[in-house]
Amino acid sequence: MGKVIVVTSGKGGVGKTTTTANVGTALAMLGKKIVMVDTDIGLRNLDVVLGLENRIVYDLVDAVRGNCRLKQALIKDKRLENLYLLPAAQTKDKTSVTTDQMMELCSKLKEEFDFVVIDCPAGIEHGFKNAIAGAEEAVVVTTPEVSAVRDADRIIGLLEAAGITEPRLIINRIRTNMVKTGDMMGVDDILDILAVDLLGIVPDDDAIVISTNKGEPTVFDDNSRPGLAFRNIARRLNGDEVPLMNLEEKRSFFSRMKAMFKSE
Amino acid sequence: MVNKWSAALANKPTVLYEKSLRSGQNINFDGNVVILGDVNPGAEIVAGGHILVMGSLRGLVHAGALGDEDATVTALHFAPTQLRIASHITRPPDGNVDEGAKPPEYARIQNDTVVIEEYQPPR
Repeated sequence: MGKVIVVTSGKGGVGKTTTTANVGTALAMLGKKIVMVDTDIGLRNLDVVLGLENRIVYDLVDAVRGNCRLKQALIKDKRLENLYLLPAAQTKDKTSVTTDQMMELCSKLKEEFDFVVIDCPAGIEHGFKNAIAGAEEAVVVTTPEVSAVRDADRIIGLLEAAGITEPRLIINRIRTNMVKTGDMMGVDDILDILAVDLLGIVPDDDAIVISTNKGEPTVFDDNSRPGLAFRNIARRLNGDEVPLMNLEEKRSFFSRMKAMFKSE
Repeated sequence: MVNKWSAALANKPTVLYEKSLRSGQNINFDGNVVILGDVNPGAEIVAGGHILVMGSLRGLVHAGALGDEDATVTALHFAPTQLRIASHITRPPDGNVDEGAKPPEYARIQNDTVVIEEYQPPR
């Protein structure tokens, strides 16, 4: 029996979909059988980030309404054998799925898969309630901005009220330089307010924009810093102990050479 | 400075909330309210009597909401978004960022203005 994990944030644009795509992919790279479910009906994105948009025939709404078998709606990833996507519907209304249907869907999926990773829409209304309905665990994504942290706090309260009592936090798009100069909230500032367990920190990096636009998750790139951060997060979700990554900016080749000569 | 507690308020019923209050959560009670945790930005407490926060107060609180000017607000870390006592409304001065560690403070009405000072146990 697998685990159902919802990735949520409240605020839009903090990286829910990017996190879902990368963490889901990284879990699959660990050899787990994964399905990612896009519950953002009407604004589907997860398929685009994964580069699977052109393979969609049936979607989540078709699957829960019985227009197709669940298996038919699952899209197999083009790179990994054990990674699947259940895409959201694009032309249907958000209210076309009920929380009961979502719970039933999740319980079916977790029989098949080791992890069911649910990409939640922004907001706290119907779509959010659907997304968390069948989830046992939650990952809350925030960025070091006051508004995002405020919304994360609200979401954690709502998750607790819904019985998901120990959500874990991912702080996305950290910029170490700005934290150092005091222009950006640091990890400690955020944890001070939210008081939840930290699952990981992801540095802000241009590589994300490139990988998102290409439809290729950044976890495939061994040299990508956010890619490493997401792979670490996947390992922690899988139950491994992995230390937090060092956020120090990578030094240039030249300065490393200089440091080497100095130490000799 | 010795703070004084009104006997009338002390005899009112009191609720004890044993968790932090997060954004969007609120407590409305016509007696006193004690929070064993933080009150985060976006959270709201409206109480007829005193409010006591055994943690960081960063949200909005209204003590003496039924008009009782003897009501007070006490917090281990005092940094509310907005502070109301009876019909008085105050907020921290603009540009005043939360400065971190400091002793517990409490707020009350004195000479028709809200005064915030370091907390001293009543004698």
